[in-house]
Amino acid sequence: MTTEAKVRCENLAVGHEGRAIMSGITFAVEAGQLAAVVGPSGCGKSTLMRALVGLTEPLAGTAWLLGRALHELTESEREGLLRRAGFLFQGSALWSSLTVRENVELPLREFGQCGPRECRLIAEHKLAQVGLLGAADKLPSELSGGMAKRAGLARALALDPEVLFLDEPSAGLDPVTAARLDDLILRLRDVLGTAVVLVSHEVASIRRLADFCVYLDPDTHRMGPVGRIDDILASSGHAGARDFFATHLRI
Amino acid sequence: MAQDPPAPPCLTVRVHAGETHVTLTGSWLRTHALPTWPENLGAGVIHLDAQGVTDFDTVLPAWIQGWERSLTQPSRLTLTGLNARATAWLELRSEETVDSNAVDRLPFLEQLGQWASLSNRSWGRALAHLGECALGAGRLLLGRGKANWSEFPQLLRTAGPDALPIVLLLGFLTGVIMAYVALIQLGKVGADAYVANLVGLAMTREMGALMTGIIACGRTATAYASHLGSMNVTQETDALRAIGLRPVEYLAIPRMLAVMIVLPLLTVFASAAGILGGMTVAVGAGLAVEQYMTQVIEAVSISSFLSGIIKAYAFAMVAAWAGCYRGAVARPTARGVGEAATTSAVLGITLIVIADALFAVLFNLFEI
Repeated sequence: MTTEAKVRCENLAVGHEGRAIMSGITFAVEAGQLAAVVGPSGCGKSTLMRALVGLTEPLAGTAWLLGRALHELTESEREGLLRRAGFLFQGSALWSSLTVRENVELPLREFGQCGPRECRLIAEHKLAQVGLLGAADKLPSELSGGMAKRAGLARALALDPEVLFLDEPSAGLDPVTAARLDDLILRLRDVLGTAVVLVSHEVASIRRLADFCVYLDPDTHRMGPVGRIDDILASSGHAGARDFFATHLRI
Repeated sequence: MAQDPPAPPCLTVRVHAGETHVTLTGSWLRTHALPTWPENLGAGVIHLDAQGVTDFDTVLPAWIQGWERSLTQPSRLTLTGLNARATAWLELRSEETVDSNAVDRLPFLEQLGQWASLSNRSWGRALAHLGECALGAGRLLLGRGKANWSEFPQLLRTAGPDALPIVLLLGFLTGVIMAYVALIQLGKVGADAYVANLVGLAMTREMGALMTGIIACGRTATAYASHLGSMNVTQETDALRAIGLRPVEYLAIPRMLAVMIVLPLLTVFASAAGILGGMTVAVGAGLAVEQYMTQVIEAVSISSFLSGIIKAYAFAMVAAWAGCYRGAVARPTARGVGEAATTSAVLGITLIVIADALFAVLFNLFEI
């Protein structure tokens, strides 16, 4: 494990109400890397992502975000650290009473230490990055699912995060919109050098995007193989992971 | 030695041979106030030289892109001196795509027209919902309908026993207030003893039901509106329709019935607490407990008591219906749910006061 890892976890166990649904999770994501957490529904992917940013207490093990062990941080230190990370939630989680532009401006106004003109310019820049400048004055209720995802991504990028957490970014989108969003995520990673942790079960999309993926095995409740999907399919001795990827790619 | 603060972002404009040269210097960070874009440059080539920029973050590409967008004359912006990172940042933009199912906002006048039309239609929707409730109740009585009776005990508890403490407190205080006001006026003519008559009659006939109805609007109707509105957000109501259940019948009727069962009981408690509150004041003013109670029994006839109970049934129906109706028509957004809760309380209280006035006229007409 290198010290430059933006996100790292060792022997992490996550679950609900003291009951572990996944354990033994160990991996690290460095700047400019895109890691995908993969597994069938209910295997604990989203719970793991919440634990990686300290929104859920892990049952065991340690998670580091931007070089800091989360369990050692005070609440205010953790909040400060989270401002250096961006999140795209599964349902986009746009604030419904604010316009798209205001959604992107809000983190800048609160934590960006910049004036109103600068906030507006940066917000428009981010919206141009995701191709939504023309929809800046729309309310979230006036957006399609794909547009809402892109608006959520623009908001996640507002404070130039060093690490991006994306929860099911292409879930519920048609293949064309999903492919466009995948391209955008790749360009963001390449241009900005952002570390990206992506939770998904869209195997075809992950195959294109991820530098490596972490398979969560629902049968053993432990982390399965880690690596590129093609490598896992070719050489992994883990039958569950091979079946999962092969079945999804066949579909 | 202390480090010098970074130089603020700065630009200089030079026009040479019909071409504009803009030189950027200093530290271009979002914590600094940015210079305004040069104006009146005319059409033509603009050379932007960023070699003198010592430090920058996202605000530099944002400023340059903003300037590009603001140029009204056809100009060509050429960039020099930007490092690879800034150039890549600048070039990172996506094709503008607005999906076909995105909604366009209407101009103000059309919004006004639509609001007027919807307001007009909302009365129709309210009446339709009321009709659906009546039909649903009928179908349930005939055994043809389906309602969610599994949550009925919980509905009874939340609408009744859970509301009892606030009903008792407000009932008691209403009695105290009425007794004080009565003492001021009746004391002037030496009729202090009639405080008991006034408080007893007012609480059983009027205030007990009215206060309980208003509490039901503020407490139960808003809870129903929020719950049913949230079910619109999560498409639970659609899921009910999809399996052939009628949301009004399945969700609204048990709620209305629960409130209609408990509200008359709460009204009795509120009236008793009010009479007790009045007694506390009257006894403090020198009236004996026995005398107070004798006069209350004398003043409150069976018909007065029953008129209060009849009102309680009506107010219960109004309060529960307002909550269920506003919840059913709530927009499926966080704001929509909030609006449903607010409007259910406003609608419920307004209708209760109107109903109370109608009851006053009717009871007077029939000398009840």
